[in-house]
Amino acid sequence: MTNPKKILIIDDDPDYIAGIKPILERADYTVEVAHNPKEGFNLFQARPFDLLLLDVNMGRGAEGVAVARKIRKNPKYNAIPILIITGIREQLAFLFPHESVQPQFADLDGLLEKPIEPKVLLEKVSTLLKLFEEKKNI
Amino acid sequence: MTNEYPFSNEVGDMLYATHDNPITNCLQCGTCSGSCPAVEFMDHSPRKMIGMIRANMKEEVLASNTYWSCASCYQCTVRCPAGIDIAELMYALKRYSMWKDQYKSGLIGPAFSESFIKMIVNSGRSYEPILAASYLPKFSTFDIVQEAITASELVFSGKMNLFPKKIKRIKNLQNVIRRIVPIGELS
Repeated sequence: MTNPKKILIIDDDPDYIAGIKPILERADYTVEVAHNPKEGFNLFQARPFDLLLLDVNMGRGAEGVAVARKIRKNPKYNAIPILIITGIREQLAFLFPHESVQPQFADLDGLLEKPIEPKVLLEKVSTLLKLFEEKKNI
Repeated sequence: MTNEYPFSNEVGDMLYATHDNPITNCLQCGTCSGSCPAVEFMDHSPRKMIGMIRANMKEEVLASNTYWSCASCYQCTVRCPAGIDIAELMYALKRYSMWKDQYKSGLIGPAFSESFIKMIVNSGRSYEPILAASYLPKFSTFDIVQEAITASELVFSGKMNLFPKKIKRIKNLQNVIRRIVPIGELS
């Protein structure tokens, strides 16, 4: 039996975390959560994770951006896949309607917009974990 | 599954996500409430609001008009002996309540904020006649007449333009906003 894959969720919306954590756990992933970027980055450094689910808009602004950049800069973690899950359109679509959400701030592995279909989330997570595993084995 | 994360932590995260929660440093000295020029219009004083946040009284906090009445004068922030940025706390509560769609009904603040932001993004300037008209339904007839009189006086004295003006190179401003708000590049 293989060890379950470890996923870290960094998101400031506890209601959203309460929604997606059980979905991932039911799919046999080990999930840890952090409600702010500081706590999240400390957790990320403290133990190895196979995937990071990251929110963009936290705290006073786009603090998820800072987390993604820090991780990508560090050669120790920069291969770990980062999946952005953002509700930014939901919150701010009235500013620029009809535009795609594609933050060009860091090298990311994927982006999903809230609200997410559980099936879509699980497919994306499984694809990224497979790719990560293949990269590790090269 | 229910959310068990305390409201006081949520508020702390919104304020200084990369630092410790400043709300827990509050001494309840009341300097903020004593300095606030808008306290008489508030359901709860700023000191009481911080106490309520610490007690995780989420519904009561969000249902109050306190943070919408804040004039952002920053007297509370400057005078707080515990170094809490109370004016920023009021902004955080505004953002939170609009995000979660939980705020006191009948207030001008939420409609005003949205209209104001849209106007800045589209023209680069605030233009009072459109701004006032966007939340006109919230006014009583008496208020509308009062606003019309004030507006006419401002126009005749040359303090307000009759027609809206756009800044030059508005696209550049919009690109700056796109970088700040990370919605992304044009598709």
